[in-house]
Formats: sequence, C-alpha cells, structure tokens
Amino acid sequence: MPKRRYTTISIPIPLYERVKKMIEGTGFSSVSDYVTYVLRELVASYEESKLDFTREDEERIKRRLRALGYLD
Amino acid sequence: MAGERVMVIGLDSAPPSLAFERFLPKMPNLSELLDGARYGPLRSCHPPITVPAWAVMATSLTPGELGMYGFRHRKPGEYREYYLVTSRNLTRPAVWDHAAREGKKALLIAFPPSYPPLKVQGWVISDFHTPSTAKNYTHPPWLRLEVERVAGGPFTHDVEFRVEDRGPLVERLFEMTSQHLRVAEHLARTKRWDLMWYVEIGLDRLHHAFWKFFDPSHPRHVPDSEFADVAERYYRLLDEGIGRLVQAAKDASILVVSDHGAKAMTGAFAINEWLADNGYLALEERPTEQTGLAKAKVDWDRTVAWGWGGYYSRIFVNLRGREPRGRVSPEDFESTLAQLVDDLRRVRVPGGGSLGVEAHRPAEIYPEVRGDAPDLMVYFGDLSWRAAGTMGHGRWFLPENDTGPDDAVHDWDGIYLIRDPEGRVEPGELGATIYDVAPTILSLMGLGIPDGLRGEPLLDVS
Repeated sequence: MPKRRYTTISIPIPLYERVKKMIEGTGFSSVSDYVTYVLRELVASYEESKLDFTREDEERIKRRLRALGYLD
Repeated sequence: MAGERVMVIGLDSAPPSLAFERFLPKMPNLSELLDGARYGPLRSCHPPITVPAWAVMATSLTPGELGMYGFRHRKPGEYREYYLVTSRNLTRPAVWDHAAREGKKALLIAFPPSYPPLKVQGWVISDFHTPSTAKNYTHPPWLRLEVERVAGGPFTHDVEFRVEDRGPLVERLFEMTSQHLRVAEHLARTKRWDLMWYVEIGLDRLHHAFWKFFDPSHPRHVPDSEFADVAERYYRLLDEGIGRLVQAAKDASILVVSDHGAKAMTGAFAINEWLADNGYLALEERPTEQTGLAKAKVDWDRTVAWGWGGYYSRIFVNLRGREPRGRVSPEDFESTLAQLVDDLRRVRVPGGGSLGVEAHRPAEIYPEVRGDAPDLMVYFGDLSWRAAGTMGHGRWFLPENDTGPDDAVHDWDGIYLIRDPEGRVEPGELGATIYDVAPTILSLMGLGIPDGLRGEPLLDVS
C-alpha cells in the first residue's frame, strides 16, 4: 500500500480548541482526522453540485425573463 | 476594527421621488439613516437597466468595458438567436474581488447577475436568473441548507408581475421580500463578512405592477383602487427590514443604493413597425397579429436595419461582410445610421410633440466596447416610452407594454445614501454617479482603489 502523503494547514488556535472540544467522545482521534473528514464531505458536495449550465437551464431562464417582460 | 465593514442594501429601481420624498415620512429607519448621511440621486449608466447597472456599480466600469448591454445579447452573425447574460459574463473584477485580495470576505444576496452562483471568497445566494431551486443556487453549495432553514423552504428568487390579476401578486411579493429580509438578517448576524451586498428585486416588481394605482399623474391611473396603498405598505416593509439589517451590523458603514430609478410608463414605441414603414426593415409578409421579429417573415436581403425592444431600443445594421445576408456596404454604414436617427427624430407622438429621441453609438459613450454591442442605442421620450420589438400592431404607439401588463419604466436617477459610523462622509444632499459606489466601498473598507475605475470615492479620505 502506498504511503499516504500529508501536508500541514494552519488554523487559528481558538478554532482548534473549539473543534477539539466538539469531537470529544465522537470517535475522532484528532482534530486533523476530523478536519480531513469534514473537508472530504464538503469537497464531495461541491463537486456534486458543480453545475453545467445546461441548454435546458438557459431555456428556463429565457421563459422566466420573457414572463417578466425582459424579452419579447 | 469598527468602520471597516460595509453593508450595501440594494433597492432595485428605487427613485428619489418615492424613497426620499413621497414615502420617506412612512420610513422611520431610512429617515434616521439619512440624518447624518451623505445622500442624493445616483445617476445610472447607459442603459439604466438592472443588467448591466448593478454590475457597473460593483465594478465602477462601463457597460462597454464589461461587455454587458442588457439581459441578452445577439449571437454574432445570427438574425434571430441571442444568448443570456449571466454571472459568467461578469469577468472583470468587482469590489468583492478587490477586497478578497486583502483577505476580506463577501456575502452576496441576490446580486444581479449572480447565477450560476458567483464564486467569491465568502457566501452567495444567486439572483432571479436562477432557473429553478432544483439547481444549486448558493456558494458554497451547503449554504443552501442554512438558507432554506431560515427561509422556511426554498429561497424565492422572483415573482412574475405581468399579470392582470394583481391580488395574489401582492401576497407573493410581500412574502418574498419578507423572506429575503429574514435570510439577509440571519446571514448578516451569523457570517463573518467584511462586505455584504443584498439586492431586493421585489421593489422593481412593485413599481412595474402597482405604479398606476398610487400615482394620479399616471396615464392609466386607477383612482380609489384596492391596491392604492400597496406601494406605501411595501416601502414600510422595506423600511422595517432596513432597520433590522442596520441593527445586525451596528459597526458597519451602510450604503442604501438603487441601480436606476423608475417612473410612470407613457406607452411603447413599436420600433420595428416604424422601421418597416420607413423602408429600413423589409418584410415578405406583414404580420397582422403580435409577432416577435424572430417569427416574422423578414426579407433580409432587402433589410437595412432592425431593432430590439426593451427599456431602450437596440438597433442593428444589416452590414455586408458581418451579417449573413448583409445589405449595407461598410462605406454606407455611418451615413445609414445618421439617416435613421434623423428620420427617427422627426417622429411625433400621438397628439403632437416630439418623441424625444436620444441615440448613441456605443463607441461614443464607452471608453471600450467589448462583447456583442448593438450598432445604436436609442431612448424614447427620456425613457417614458418603452421600445416594443414586436410587430403586427398596425401602429407605432402602443398604450401598453407589448409583453404584458406593466405600469412603470426606468428613470436615470436612482438613490444613494452613505452612513459611516466613523464620520468619514460629509453629511448632506449631493448628486453622485453609479460609478462612485465601488471606490466608495473600497475606501470605507480601508482598501486601495485600483487604476481604471470610472468613479471617485464619496468620502473625505484626506
């Protein structure tokens, strides 16, 4: 198994302390573990919602703008 | 540090005549803000329309430099096809991009155009260009959960106002704006923003749908209507919201601004009917019922010019070498336009009097003309007459908008108000331009003003 590679990210110490307190008793072994977990979730949600501005979307906006009288 | 956060409250289409005069006595929060503020009419851009005006305000660049001339642009080389202007056309840096370089975060709510959701350092709820709430309409995407919890459901991006039955519209309009204000206040309190910019489009919809009920000088004024007090009630709703937003950010400098003004609509001038009657637009068959130019049987080989409707008219010359069936040779291009403007200036309105034609070549009014500009931009009756692009009316002047019930048109002057808790603005009433807003925001945030902006900061920063 290839060795995982890591880098260091700085966060404010008060935020670190708040997260540390928050994850007590949750099974996360460290703030780093928790932050990695949260970021993976967020990145996945971002990628999922990355929208193609489809032709259908454009037609829908045109319909709306027409109803608003901006287009004839 | 106090005084470095800026909250911009954008009231789409608020004119000085209503916000600073007629309804001001009913607006205690706005009145209190005015006390000690610098304020006055805010001259809009060419053209004074939601798109591009908000983008102009946020960038301090002209529509020509932004390449934004309205809600839609013609596809080059196409007579009928157009494309929509969206947030993707906003490619020049806005005030939040300048601020982000200094690590400042922005919170944008319904800024036009911001769909697909603008990517900024901060938070965005996209504007009324959002096709459906089935689409992601926030940045970051997970902001949506919080928005919908506070909103009590999906964010309402707009209401359709061109309806004959105004009753249900009143309710929808008030509900939408109340929801926006609730979400804006929540985000103002919970996010660590440095620049917040919220635009309420509902006010523009109010003006279009209800102007004739409160304005006795409106050509189609309806006296003693059940809707007579809708506008006043709506302005009061806005005022309550403004009060809450200001309380949510007591340390912040506050700007209340509008992108353009509004006034009673006299009617519509059917530009393509006129062009056809004057030999500029050739038709194989004259439509007998209302028909958009895209569906009309145009004889392009014989057509000299055609027009688009809207709050202003865009005129395109059928130029040889540029258009697929161009008729006008490049050497005749300028004289054709000059002749067309001369002919337009001779038009009289029903009952006599000049139509009041103001025509501009984009290159004359913008330092740079990017994107797909029209050949000519024309205003009628100082904006009191809309331009109708449709044909088949059998006359040039229409008492109503061709695209549905509508009572209002835009006006050149919007409003601005700056209240700075640090006292960096000289209080009093003074005119300003839409280009002055972005440099003012940057100055209030303690940031440098980049080269090339078209306005000046409205504060004493000696």
